[in-house]
Amino acid sequence: MSTSLSSPTQHRHERPTKPKLGAKYAAATAVLLIITIWAGIGVQVDLPAIAANWRNATTNIVQLLQPDYGFFPKTIPALLETLQMAVIATVISSALSLPLAFLASRATNPRPKLLAAVRFLMNMIRSVPDILFASILVAVVGVGALSGIMALVLFNISIIVKLVSESLDGEDAGAQEAALAAGASWPKANRAAMLPQILPSFASQVLYTFELNIRASTVIGLVGAGGLGILIDNVRSFFRYHELSLIILEILVLVLVLEALSAWLRKKLV
Amino acid sequence: MATLIAQQQPTARPVKPTTQLRTTLWLLVSLIVVAAFWSVQIKWSSLADFPSQLIKYLGLMLFPPDWSKFGEAFKATILSVQMAWIGTILGIIVSFPLSFLASRGLAPRAVNAPLRFIFAVIRAVPEVVIAILILSVTGLTPFTGALALAVGSIGTLGKWGYEAFEGVDPGPKEAVRSTGGGTLALIRWGVWPSAAPEVLSFWLYRFEINVRASAILGLIGAGGIGKMLQDNVQFRNWDAVGMLLVVVVVVTMAIDQISGAVRNKLIHGTWRAPRRAS
Repeated sequence: MSTSLSSPTQHRHERPTKPKLGAKYAAATAVLLIITIWAGIGVQVDLPAIAANWRNATTNIVQLLQPDYGFFPKTIPALLETLQMAVIATVISSALSLPLAFLASRATNPRPKLLAAVRFLMNMIRSVPDILFASILVAVVGVGALSGIMALVLFNISIIVKLVSESLDGEDAGAQEAALAAGASWPKANRAAMLPQILPSFASQVLYTFELNIRASTVIGLVGAGGLGILIDNVRSFFRYHELSLIILEILVLVLVLEALSAWLRKKLV
Repeated sequence: MATLIAQQQPTARPVKPTTQLRTTLWLLVSLIVVAAFWSVQIKWSSLADFPSQLIKYLGLMLFPPDWSKFGEAFKATILSVQMAWIGTILGIIVSFPLSFLASRGLAPRAVNAPLRFIFAVIRAVPEVVIAILILSVTGLTPFTGALALAVGSIGTLGKWGYEAFEGVDPGPKEAVRSTGGGTLALIRWGVWPSAAPEVLSFWLYRFEINVRASAILGLIGAGGIGKMLQDNVQFRNWDAVGMLLVVVVVVTMAIDQISGAVRNKLIHGTWRAPRRAS
């Protein structure tokens, strides 16, 4: 039925010419190759060294494949601290990031200057890796779980705000317009019309950051911010590979189990 | 079609779904949260003077930052970015064929399952831990950092790859099969053309992740900006730390912008994101 509507002039009998992309592809490949060679020289890619070190390494690798299960009781406090840090950081950051997400979305914040300021701040925080925050906060607040939690919170807020504000941008603004037209203030209109729409996506982002936190909280201890990382640092500096291997195994199990749990929770709660 | 749907429509009102499970789960989650707050060993009182401390240290770091070591910092940043680049390239080289092998329909199930498991295991281990493991083989060099990033990249790129390959439109695949194409022809003409933009943008995204991770790897001694930052934090050269933070933020944001532009070019055909019709 649509053929009768389209005009016959649109029908082409000759084949369209194939776009000539050969030169473009060659140029792109050349640029990528040059960057790779330049970077390779920079990081001193040295494959023969790996072969040479391999013999030394085999003993370490054999040790790594034999976890020392007797070490397990000593890791429990650190393991618990890792979990506590992840849970607390997730809760605090989800509470802080919900209002910030509304300030960072064009759909819910009518003030362009405030919008730009919030977005810029979030972009800035997001570009600093969590462990760098941790290493600075350890110096400021002191060694322990508190600095780790604060580093995780900073890092999480930037992620949740970005993801939730993007989903706010994409939501249907009809109900919000209606609320505004009926005389509601912006916060009230957002609360009544926009919040219910993004709650499911907010909840799943929070669960996602929880997974990130579990992984991150195992390592931010490397700079003294509490959790399993402190243990990793200890056993690593004394080359106790049997114990290191047990810790890595614990991280692996913890992350896989909690990821499965969070996927299940997401299905049930969202 | 229409009659079928009409037949399926229930005449009675749907039963309201029970909320018992949800309520229990919420209670359980709240319980865990309370337990975590209650049991964690933190001197919450030290939070009280945190704002003043923060202002003090921000002042030390940023007003003004110490630009005298900028040259060194710039070189270290370049090294970090190079580490990220090599890590991404190596990760792509290894993960690209593997993600085809991990896709259902392109390789036997017996090959899919173990590969997927390996990807999941790699994703569960943080890059820093991978670096510590690799250290014993390669020593403390930037190359070790790049290798650790490469291994980490295999986990994510492998997963995103097979998800993209499995999600392509089945039409072209059927067309290739119906004309007698083998698996290689299927991959080249049925899967790759539809999946390519998505996969290329995943590579770019992973490069952005690796830029951030390469700063972290410096903390364990793999070189680059992270090492310089850690050294300066340890000796409490706060004005130098401030300068390094500025460098990290500016470089990361610049790389994100460039890679975002390239991604838009790959997906939409223009360097800037097309404005959403509103």
